[in-house]
Amino acid sequence: MSKQAMSKPGSPQAASHQQAFDEPLWWGLFSAGGVCFAVLLPAVILFIGVLLPLGLLPADALSYERATALLFSVPGFLFVGAVVCLPLFHAAHRLRHGLFDISVGRDGFNKKLMYGAAALLSMLALGLVVAGMLS
Amino acid sequence: MNKTISVKRYVPDNAAESYWQAFELPVDDSTSLLDALNHIKEQLDSTLSYRWSCRMAICGSCGVMVNGIPKLGCKTFLRDYDGEIRIEPLAHFPVQRDLVVDMEIFLEHLAAVKPYLIDDDPVKPFDPQAPETYRQSPAQLARYKQFANCINCGLCYSACPQFGLNPEFRGPAAIALAHRYNQDSRDHGKKQRMAELNRHEGVWSCTFVGFCSKVCPKHVDPAAAVNQGKVEAAKHTLIALFKGDEMNGEGKAHE
Repeated sequence: MSKQAMSKPGSPQAASHQQAFDEPLWWGLFSAGGVCFAVLLPAVILFIGVLLPLGLLPADALSYERATALLFSVPGFLFVGAVVCLPLFHAAHRLRHGLFDISVGRDGFNKKLMYGAAALLSMLALGLVVAGMLS
Repeated sequence: MNKTISVKRYVPDNAAESYWQAFELPVDDSTSLLDALNHIKEQLDSTLSYRWSCRMAICGSCGVMVNGIPKLGCKTFLRDYDGEIRIEPLAHFPVQRDLVVDMEIFLEHLAAVKPYLIDDDPVKPFDPQAPETYRQSPAQLARYKQFANCINCGLCYSACPQFGLNPEFRGPAAIALAHRYNQDSRDHGKKQRMAELNRHEGVWSCTFVGFCSKVCPKHVDPAAAVNQGKVEAAKHTLIALFKGDEMNGEGKAHE
């Protein structure tokens, strides 16, 4: 088999009992992200992406003052975590496995790239909320 | 009524490459694919090689690809096929001859998950004079019964794209059988099996394609077993992290 195996390099014997202690974490984030994707994002898109631009919500529903007050708070922090960060890890997991399926790149590198990007973007999103809360 | 089936032949004694051979044969409503292969072998071309035994979907020998889908020959009826019928050896396994594949790697995966009752610490020592049977309630039986129906035919391995990409992946049937014994109230081998399942080549290579469960002729639903195994593997990892041992799987649990 010329295809890149998902195992880490090393002798077959050494690799054979190697525990994948990181996978439960990625899978847990993937699962949580999938739930948030399915349950929360359609509602968010409906309110912010459809009803608001169509003018079907009260004019000041998300005025600047109201929006900043809602976002830069503990519930706002949790909101960003649920609709941005967890779905990011969900997408990263799918992309990583999708790349493996079409035999692009090495899985070890793809893993770092995908979850690293998800982590960086998550920190950026949550950091902006925290910065807003502090200012 | 006559139908034509095309069989992918590979006869290493005669030709290095595989080739297609078409056979026209009489069929009726009760003709199974296995009946058709037997007819070919007896009447048309005795050089055709394939495996079979029970004719009733219990031995798991006659798995082949039918128009690209893994199926048991004895459980596939030609009445269900109108157009072309293409028969190939099971995908993802090395072909030995015609429809006969080498299933050695599947047997290795099967052995690795210890698919048998492990009872190192019985409640009572075994007494040959008064042997005691295990007791199990219907509810305890129901927890694993579905996963016990596996006949080791290997169709799920041909259906699994992850096994196709990485033959080191333990695969659907082996993980379903590991789950079957982990769920059994008489068994105490879960710790040993979890060290095997919680590897990249264990449950974590599965991406929940689910085709394994679609092709399973015994409705074992290996995809469900693998994904319940992911929950168990995650629990196993959390417990191991807090207890701080057995993370490398080479401790007591593995001798």
